[in-house]
Amino acid sequence: MAIAPSPPLAITPARKRSRIALILLLACLLLFGLDALLFRTGLYCQILEPDSSAGLLELTLWREKAAQQKAGDNLVVTLGNSRMGYSPKGVDQRARLTGYVVRTAAIPGSDPRSWYYLLRDLDPTARRYRAIVFGVDNYDDEDSAFEPDDDIRALHYCIARLRLSDTIEFARSFHSPAIQWEAFRGALLKGIALQSDIQAFLSHPRKRIDLVRLCHRGWPGWTYDYVESSRNMAGLQIDWSTLKATYPPGITEEQKSSVGSFLLHEPNPQTGRLARFMRTWLGRTADRYRTSRTKVIFIRLPRGPIPRPDYLVKKRSSSIRELASRPNVILANEHLFDSLEHPEFFKDAMHMNRDGVERFSAMLADEVARLLGPPDERAAR
Amino acid sequence: MLFNTAHFFLFLAVVLALFYASPRALRKYILLAASYFFYGSWNYRFIPLLLTLTAIDYTAGIWLEKVAPGPRRKAVLTLSLCANLGFLGFFKFYNFLGSNLAWVLDKPAHAFFLNIVLPLGISFHTFQSMSYVIDVYRGEQQAVRNPIDYALFICFFPQLVAGPIVRAGNFFHDLWHWQPPSSEDVSRGVLLIALGLTKKMAFADQFAKVANAYFQNVSGNPGWLAAWSGVVAFGMQIYFDFSGYTDMAIGIAKLLGFHFPVNFRQPYLASSITDFWRRWHISLSTWLRDYLYISLGGNRRGRWMTYRNLMLTMLLGGLWHGASWNFVIWGGYHGALLSLERVFRGGRPVREDWNWLYPLKAIVTFALVMIGWVFFRAADLPQSLQILRQMFRGRGHLILAAWHIELMLIALVLAIAEEKFEWFERLLKAPMLAYASALALIFLCIEIFGVIDASIPFVYFQF
Repeated sequence: MAIAPSPPLAITPARKRSRIALILLLACLLLFGLDALLFRTGLYCQILEPDSSAGLLELTLWREKAAQQKAGDNLVVTLGNSRMGYSPKGVDQRARLTGYVVRTAAIPGSDPRSWYYLLRDLDPTARRYRAIVFGVDNYDDEDSAFEPDDDIRALHYCIARLRLSDTIEFARSFHSPAIQWEAFRGALLKGIALQSDIQAFLSHPRKRIDLVRLCHRGWPGWTYDYVESSRNMAGLQIDWSTLKATYPPGITEEQKSSVGSFLLHEPNPQTGRLARFMRTWLGRTADRYRTSRTKVIFIRLPRGPIPRPDYLVKKRSSSIRELASRPNVILANEHLFDSLEHPEFFKDAMHMNRDGVERFSAMLADEVARLLGPPDERAAR
Repeated sequence: MLFNTAHFFLFLAVVLALFYASPRALRKYILLAASYFFYGSWNYRFIPLLLTLTAIDYTAGIWLEKVAPGPRRKAVLTLSLCANLGFLGFFKFYNFLGSNLAWVLDKPAHAFFLNIVLPLGISFHTFQSMSYVIDVYRGEQQAVRNPIDYALFICFFPQLVAGPIVRAGNFFHDLWHWQPPSSEDVSRGVLLIALGLTKKMAFADQFAKVANAYFQNVSGNPGWLAAWSGVVAFGMQIYFDFSGYTDMAIGIAKLLGFHFPVNFRQPYLASSITDFWRRWHISLSTWLRDYLYISLGGNRRGRWMTYRNLMLTMLLGGLWHGASWNFVIWGGYHGALLSLERVFRGGRPVREDWNWLYPLKAIVTFALVMIGWVFFRAADLPQSLQILRQMFRGRGHLILAAWHIELMLIALVLAIAEEKFEWFERLLKAPMLAYASALALIFLCIEIFGVIDASIPFVYFQF
């Protein structure tokens, strides 16, 4: 571009400065306007990659919003991550016998922070559900090598749900300054967090739109009828004194790796970060339902094919047991699913297999019905 | 302190605030201190080297003015040039010459190796300094009396590390007749900074990812589609990276009331290699023309001498970029193409008319330039030859994503629009809302395409 010398204009320095400041301010406002138009109006959210974190959360939200229209007042929703794996059809059919409709909004890889933002839009009045069931790993806060309060994936799960007013609070909920900054700028200018999604869309826009349409047609059915893998860990033995596992023949490297990562480790230094994280996000969720008719139920999920012995588990605090003192919060029996903690019911170190899921689904439906008592007959009609 | 970091923008904001808040007499001291701070933030150990070169050429300038024309004057010039080229040669070419000497003497490759760290921007400030001394010798430039002024000329931070190479006459005119930047200068500066930032973050760094992946694993990406996409990705990276840096340098200088020359003019729209060099790194090509090609006799001594001069100029231009045979070949390749064009063109001037043949000529020129980039980017000569073979063999697969190609098309449309309609100039004269909208679109481009977390250094910082 040519840079020709330009004659100075008769404008005072102060006016010049205020003019350029005004232009920059206007440009920033326009940028926020463009960003809002694209990413805060739902315009781009309609074409999010279904197989992405944000896309999965949006699909789940859309599916469960649609389900709310059809279900009566005795509606229960479950939240959790991939460990909350059960057969939606199995649990729903079993629950219907008791008069409840149980739906799942569990999302693989999600955490209590994502659940809070999902639930805020899934149930804006905080009165739609008879109960919200959270599947958690443990009632005790044992810090592991994984730091949930610094898990930036939460930004990518919740990105479409975050409002401008959430920006600072959401960013501050992360632990390290670098992640806080990443969360702040992503929540403020959503295009940054959605970069790879947008770039992939621009590469194959037609394909993406077709996939989104296909998912909107088929996803509720695919997920409702989903059947878990039947592979299992039968024969797995662990010598906890040496932290060595004996694997049965035919076990895959992936299964071995999950055992190594999730079971065979010494306790990590206890920092209290998990407890803070759980108190914050599950506490906020419980507070939303403090005066509601909705019960908040916590269940401890089956811990694994062979649970780690107590001497390897550090139990310094229990944020979930603390929450039980709040109104409307119910804790299911901690040992309810102990009978499922066998290698036959797990496909790897964390996730149940088909048999496990079937048993778990029936037990879950029964337990929810037991904890809630008889459904509201008028609502059921 | 990279130009595309928050640290740099904080530094710039402080410098601008101090500069305009201070009395006029103090301003050059602020710029000088800021420039040494900027340079020191990279590696403070090289500040004495910068000061030494500054002192040598400052003294040489004054000395040249005092000495009458004749052998003594020539000796002063030679002394200054030797000092500049000596430092440049030692830091840049010692290990290259050492390894070649070891090869000739049949000694181990590292027999003469020294662990030398290349001072940042040495190629740029040395050439800038040399041009000043030569201009004084030729009587085209008054010797500068004030050492502060001269030191600022050498180390002025916007262009210290990667140019553009500023001529003494232009710089001292701006310094000695400093005027506050006009409203249009400020608008131009801001837009150039924003545009440069976008070129670097949204274009160069995205293409760098593809180019780096290709050049780090050439064997793993066989076939002409992979080779051409890897090389074109580098072609895009180097253009957007270097022109982005230059745009920012020019823009920052504008905000401080200095006017740097244009360094790039849509080079990939060139219709010939001669045209390409009139559009690419213009401050270096004009430097080479004025101080080397013309000094060698230019085109005044017949056809063969012209070809020789072209070859020599481009070979040295190649070597200026770095000490490796690849750069020599790259320079020689361009010298040969320039000579060939001259053979076919004869004495006729280069025509840039936009006619039906122009797109074809531009595509051929683009392809030739891309082939040249193979030598520029490849790790060594064997890898260059491997890539060249792959560029014309097998099919392979495209390693650029569709959105990379869309980015290139957007850039092409903008380049053609600038060439034909000068949208940049029009934008500066447009109403405030249009200007602000353009800025917002530029920022949106960074938001969506900008590589934000990875720190990819500017390509020309290594020179």
